[in-house]
Amino acid sequence: MSEAPGERMKHLDEMTCLLYIERQLDRARALEVSAHTQECEACRTLLRALERESRLLTRAMLEEDEPLPSRLAQFQERARRSMQWIWGLAFGLAATGAYALYTQYIVPWQTELENAGFGGSNLLNLLIFQGAFWKGWQSMITVLEVAALMTLGALGVMFLRRRLRRGSALAVVFAGFCAALLAMPSPASATEFRNGTTIEIHKDEKITGDVYITGERTRVDGTVDGDVIIFSQSVDINGHILGDVIAFGQSVRINGQVDGNVRGACNNLTITGNVTKNATVFSQTFTLDGNGKLGGSLTSFSESFSQDGSVGRDMLLFFAHGTLAGKVAGAVRAKGDSLTISSSAVIDGPVRFEGHKQADVSPSAKLASPVDFKQLERKPEYLKGNYYVWRVIWTAAFILLGLVLFFLMPEFSRETIQAAEHVGLPIFLGILVFFGVPIGAIIVCITVVGIPIGVLTFGVWLLMLCTAELVVGAVVGTWILGKGTTNWEMIGRMALGFVIVRIVYTPLAHMHVVGLLAALGIWMWGMGAISVAVYRRFQPMIPPGAPAAPYSPSPMPPNTTVGGTLPA
Amino acid sequence: MSAPGITEPAEAIARARAGDANAWGELYREYAPAIFRFCRRALPTREDAEDATMEIFMKLREKLGQYDTTRSFTAWLYKVAANHCWDILRRRKIRQDKETEDVESVPLEHPDPNQLDKLIEQRTSEEVRKALAKLGGRARMALVMRYYSDMSYDEIADALGVRRAFVGVVLLRARHELRQALEGNAALAAGGAS
Repeated sequence: MSEAPGERMKHLDEMTCLLYIERQLDRARALEVSAHTQECEACRTLLRALERESRLLTRAMLEEDEPLPSRLAQFQERARRSMQWIWGLAFGLAATGAYALYTQYIVPWQTELENAGFGGSNLLNLLIFQGAFWKGWQSMITVLEVAALMTLGALGVMFLRRRLRRGSALAVVFAGFCAALLAMPSPASATEFRNGTTIEIHKDEKITGDVYITGERTRVDGTVDGDVIIFSQSVDINGHILGDVIAFGQSVRINGQVDGNVRGACNNLTITGNVTKNATVFSQTFTLDGNGKLGGSLTSFSESFSQDGSVGRDMLLFFAHGTLAGKVAGAVRAKGDSLTISSSAVIDGPVRFEGHKQADVSPSAKLASPVDFKQLERKPEYLKGNYYVWRVIWTAAFILLGLVLFFLMPEFSRETIQAAEHVGLPIFLGILVFFGVPIGAIIVCITVVGIPIGVLTFGVWLLMLCTAELVVGAVVGTWILGKGTTNWEMIGRMALGFVIVRIVYTPLAHMHVVGLLAALGIWMWGMGAISVAVYRRFQPMIPPGAPAAPYSPSPMPPNTTVGGTLPA
Repeated sequence: MSAPGITEPAEAIARARAGDANAWGELYREYAPAIFRFCRRALPTREDAEDATMEIFMKLREKLGQYDTTRSFTAWLYKVAANHCWDILRRRKIRQDKETEDVESVPLEHPDPNQLDKLIEQRTSEEVRKALAKLGGRARMALVMRYYSDMSYDEIADALGVRRAFVGVVLLRARHELRQALEGNAALAAGGAS
């Protein structure tokens, strides 16, 4: 501006100029402005600049730089409304399901476990404080820290979700989880890792701290002042373990002394030594030898169960064929095909057996009371009344899971359903994922260092398996009702489709090969669609190559004088 | 108020009011692109705009019976859209503007018209759209209502919940913010040219 300060005071302020070009001034003031701008070059220029600014703004906003998204191509409210009754039903069923799950499964199991050898302790206590993974309160500080971090992370994701919808909250969750795994400090105690074809801890060797062992053959003759975690084909423990033994193997023999618990998932597990605390076993064959001694309780899931040694507390057993020939200080609850109680058996507590035929009890066996037998019915599941009730409850529970996932990851859910609409590619990819991921996870797990990643991968695979049927249901719902636009519409379609898939699949499930093929088809289709969506999400974005639609001049707002003669 | 480039289909509006689903479909196809663009300009992300467009049309359908046929349908439509978008922005409290209704605090300085003219001349539509995206909720909303949907000062005041006399202040400040975003030139934005 070149005017002198005295002149400058006479200029119109910008507010007045704006109101003038917007025709918001009263007539008298507008005339004053008009008269002033006829004489003042600077104010005339300002008016022109403001008008050009208005024109630029209007043009920039009217230009169609983005086409209408495909999901907005059609208005679909009718479907949303028609689904409302389904929501009432789904929520009602979900609430019923939650209650029924608690009363029908959790409470009885809790009672059974309390009755079966974990005297006085409740299930939570059993799983946490008596469990093999309880390392005392000191380690809980780390757990609490991790829990706090995860909570903070979850809050962060919730806060950023709107901004990250395209960038995917999913990616953040995964990245955060991986970062947490990498950043987690290793345990302070001296944990030892041993890996090789044959691993031996010699008789005079003493290890302080936990030991992780992987190998074909493992033999522990020495002393371990900590836990022993073993992945091995053949395991022999002859030494002294002051902590717990957690064993995964083909053949596991415990001949020595274990001061803690024994947890095993193996082909054959034999205890001929002395275990001070409890044992939990998943195996084909379990044997507690005549010399074997278990100070605490025994929980066994085995095809063939044989007990000759002594058990200090209760036993909870699931087997095909079981034999009791030793001493049991507590009660026995067993479920299986057949049970034999030999003459040498001494059982101080009550014995309850649920099976297909009466237990074969030797007259010489010393029992506190006669065996309480309950006949198991052989009729097929689908002939039982509560089978259908449970199918409905589980259906509602799955729909609830779908709802939660939809709200956690709305964009990802949409993309998954879109991917599932093309059947070929998802099924092909689904076959790869269905078989490939568990194998990969196992390979990662057995390298020990990769256990967290392996377990995480397997967890993701399981989640995909659980949600596969929901994805297929969503596609079926979309076929029936057309594409949904809002979250609720899509969830409604998913719920309807899922119910239909369940109704169709339920009878098929009882036709052996057909049922298996149907299940595989659903799993692979759904898992494949999820995999396609994940792949597309992590694929680099391709910049839009198509030029924007050419700008066609539109009528200008009438309140501006843009393009016309200046008001001055 | 007129819709940008749209002639109002009176017959379809009447049939839609009478409950004709096909007529509503016609209206939707006619107006959805404009409303989507309105939302796209007013709201921070594309996803927000998509969701808001659907929600606005759901509201419109519910309220269609309340529409006064003697007035412009487009104006009514934009009013509903503006109210909805402003509700969204207010709820989120994104970049809450610090303006008060104190008109006295408005800079009444005379900006350098030549510099302003030069700035406007050099900027493209795309640059303006990018700059708009950087503005605070109220500034962006005000500019969109005024220069996209051509709403009157009364309608803008009603939508933003401010006095009519304050609308000019809001618009002027929005322009200043926009200039700052375009150029980063505080002198121009504050009208501080000497």
